[in-house]
Amino acid sequence: MNPDPAPSTRSEPAEPRAGRRAVPVWLIILMLLLFYWGMVYFDQRSAWGTASVYTPYRSLADLQKYQPPTASGNLERGKAVYETVCALCHNTDGMGKPNQAPPFAGSEWVLGTPNRMIRIPLAGLSGPVEVKGAQWALAMPAMGAALSDEDLAAVLSYIRQSFGNKASAITADQVKAIRAAVGNRSQPWTAEQLNAIQ
Amino acid sequence: MTDATSSPSRTNASQADATDAIDASCRVPLFVLVLSGALWLVIGSMFALVASIKFHAPQFLADSPFLTYGRVYPAATNSFLYGFCLQVGLAVGLWLIARLGGALLAQPWLITVGAMLWNLGVTVGVLAILAGNNTGFENLEMPGYAAVILFLGYLMIGLWGVVTFHRRRDRGLFVSQWFLFTALFWFPWIYSTANLLLISFPVRGVVQAVIAWWYSNNLTVVWLSLVGLAAVFYFVPKLTRRELHSHYLALYTYWMLILFASWGGIPNTAPVPAWMPVTSTVATVLTVIPILAVALNVFWTLRAQDPASNRSADAPSASPPEAEPRGRNSRAPSFFPLAFIVVGVFAFVLAGLSRVVGVLIDTNQTLHFTWFARAQSLLNIYGFLVMVLFGSVYYILPRLAGMDFPFASLIRVHFLLALLGILVLVSPLAIGGGIQTVLFQNPDLASVDIAKRMLPFLRVSTTGDLFLLLGHLVFLGNLAGLVWRFYRARAAAAYAVATADLFKPAEARS
Amino acid sequence: MNYGPLLFLAAFFALAGSWFGFVLTPQLQLGRLQQTNSIPSGATYPVARPGLAREGLDVYRANGCASCHSQQIGQTATTCDVVLADTGTNQAAMKAALLKLKPDWSDSEARQALGSLPQTLLRGATREEADAAMKTLNVGGAKVQLWIVPGGPDIARGWGKRRTVAEDFLFDYPVMPGSLRAGPDLANIGVRQSDPNWHLLHLYAPRVEVRDSPMPSFRFLFEKRRIERARSPDALSLPPELAPEPGYEIVPRLQAKALAAYLVSLRADAPLFDAPLTAPAPAAPATNAPAK
Repeated sequence: MNPDPAPSTRSEPAEPRAGRRAVPVWLIILMLLLFYWGMVYFDQRSAWGTASVYTPYRSLADLQKYQPPTASGNLERGKAVYETVCALCHNTDGMGKPNQAPPFAGSEWVLGTPNRMIRIPLAGLSGPVEVKGAQWALAMPAMGAALSDEDLAAVLSYIRQSFGNKASAITADQVKAIRAAVGNRSQPWTAEQLNAIQ
Repeated sequence: MTDATSSPSRTNASQADATDAIDASCRVPLFVLVLSGALWLVIGSMFALVASIKFHAPQFLADSPFLTYGRVYPAATNSFLYGFCLQVGLAVGLWLIARLGGALLAQPWLITVGAMLWNLGVTVGVLAILAGNNTGFENLEMPGYAAVILFLGYLMIGLWGVVTFHRRRDRGLFVSQWFLFTALFWFPWIYSTANLLLISFPVRGVVQAVIAWWYSNNLTVVWLSLVGLAAVFYFVPKLTRRELHSHYLALYTYWMLILFASWGGIPNTAPVPAWMPVTSTVATVLTVIPILAVALNVFWTLRAQDPASNRSADAPSASPPEAEPRGRNSRAPSFFPLAFIVVGVFAFVLAGLSRVVGVLIDTNQTLHFTWFARAQSLLNIYGFLVMVLFGSVYYILPRLAGMDFPFASLIRVHFLLALLGILVLVSPLAIGGGIQTVLFQNPDLASVDIAKRMLPFLRVSTTGDLFLLLGHLVFLGNLAGLVWRFYRARAAAAYAVATADLFKPAEARS
Repeated sequence: MNYGPLLFLAAFFALAGSWFGFVLTPQLQLGRLQQTNSIPSGATYPVARPGLAREGLDVYRANGCASCHSQQIGQTATTCDVVLADTGTNQAAMKAALLKLKPDWSDSEARQALGSLPQTLLRGATREEADAAMKTLNVGGAKVQLWIVPGGPDIARGWGKRRTVAEDFLFDYPVMPGSLRAGPDLANIGVRQSDPNWHLLHLYAPRVEVRDSPMPSFRFLFEKRRIERARSPDALSLPPELAPEPGYEIVPRLQAKALAAYLVSLRADAPLFDAPLTAPAPAAPATNAPAK
């Protein structure tokens, strides 16, 4: 067998070196343009990380717009009522204000049975109450007593479907039924009384 | 050949000696890694061929539970990725780190043990997949017990790679070293994260899918690109005896690749909040920058007119650069390695651009489920990395063994089979996938009818699988032959030395 | 300058970034996901799969079904339909409202529409248009419904009513969304084919139920056994060319039954807050009255 001349390190090319030429400017400009496009694209479509928003929805407002209608109308009405009536103490982002009002976001009182949640604004709540593991001992006036059934249902639905909450909407019929059951109660609820309600 | 002054000649000779020593230190681990890798490549190709046939002949081998498509296909991909790409990628990477740093490979015997552990892990894993114990996550199908063995094997290989890097003589770094050093610690991080969060302490619900997509992308796009580009940036200038066009362009490539490509992988129909697929889309589009940068760098390097620009004061080669001895096949021995690597670069650019375009045009959210996506993935893993590794191995191994391949003329056959194979494998899938996307928009067309229309394309692509398998057999044959030849020559030499006294003429003995 | 540590920091920073973005953040956001309520009925969703179906998930994984089937439905649009379900008491006012909504309709067309209820009056509208239409049609106790209708190629094809979301996979391990559609998407296969026997036959001999199907047969999930005293109720009824010889029957093994139970449990069509949808009204329940 007559092998080819063996390759050896003495005959191989030198280790490579890299030239110091500059990066073409247009490649850098392209990157900047694509960055800009990327930021706009992300801004338009990502809802900045909101967990409930999946494509094709572009934002939480977009998603809320397409929620099926309840008898009390869509969430825009609820939001309007919320901002007028509740946001002053509970904050526009539903996170509550220390020493003023507990949060709605993730609150068991909001996500649980509507029977308790509807009663609270109808007569108010006073005395110690536990919300998300924290103790609150304030007094809430009956902010919902003056609202119509539709408005109260709309704002309660808004609370149950915003701030990261995902619960069913509340209908005006439900509010009407509870209002009838509560009657002319003037005494605010206490936490024990509400917990007794199923 | 003599130089003008004696001092460069001594430097030349001693550097050549040092290089020989480095090559010698790499020899055993690389033989084991590359030969085992080639064997896995053949095994993977056989599985892939079986899987490919099943698409147009569903009853082919369907009665055996071990060979049902859902097990054979993951067995094929895992053999390719873990058996060949990772092993031979590490092998080439270790050699490059040793050579570029001018340091001997650290602890070659431990690396060899690591390679054997790695092979044990892949064997256990592939057998487990065929037995039905796969994990269910794409590109991570090997169960936990195989993953542990693989990880230990990797540590024994990768750690010594890092030590070799640390022991380099020249503190300045060449381009390839950045890519390789990054790759050495990229893999254990993504692999351990994936295994811990998906298999050992699984996360809840759809987070599993996100992490699985993240891992798959970081392995097949980022890690394979890191290793492949390291080899490309080394071999293209070296084999053409020119300098790499621009160090800064390569630096730009490096940064853009690791920053953006690592965020890709989440498809637009994923059952996850919108920000994840949107981020992936933006990141994938931004990867067009490193792809263009690589294309430009390589193209300009190849086009450069003056090979003498390679020289500088302390270059070890003589002036003028001497022609390589030409062999029987009348091409310079570095022709085919360079050919494989240039094909690899083409495939890298094509696969990358198709990924970018695919993500932008997929407004109907169907393209990534078609054969087009499969074609893209094959072009990236196969057309790019495997070809680049072939070229690298064809260059490196003869230097380690100090002798040429026994069937050197078959290297051309392998090259043609590989090139033809990739074309015939990828093109019909890509075209078929495009047609599939269009057909899926028509809701009245049943999916089985669409599948029927894909059959001719799938039949053609099976031929591609066959060509590739034949090419791999040639590759394995050549490698095995070289290693055999080397050890036989060594054994013969040792025998000759040991018995030299016995055969001296009588008067010399007395 | 020693670039080694700098290089390490660069690579570390890059990988840490993507790890933070696609491993840590999804875990923080979705890792403690709990069951949610469907909207508007408030039913808990999802419920864990029954035991046999849970085992079927394992069979699905072991045989690599996700290599050919996906379980992700995409959605590219959401539109609204306005449907008139009941005309209420004031027919004349209803007709007038209808003509106001559809000015290009003739009188007879309007009367015809009012005669065949329920009638979809508006299709593919935006929410604002639909709300306006609802207001127009809300006369005299008429029952007008606004339907939320997701759209997209997968939905048009009947593979699902809405897109898949994170809650659909809450209890599954492993989650196998799939990446190739060699076969149809399976996210709602339990709705399309709710009979486990269909699935069992399909697994044994796919081409009996779906002609020219490229799906391989999974005969190893079944066993052929001699008929003892009577035919087993589980035995497959196969066409003559596939049936075993007389005296033998093909019976699914536990794995096949589990897989069929899993496939039948696959549905992702509950309307949720994340994926709003007007679900079709459930069919009237069958009565317990004895047959006449």
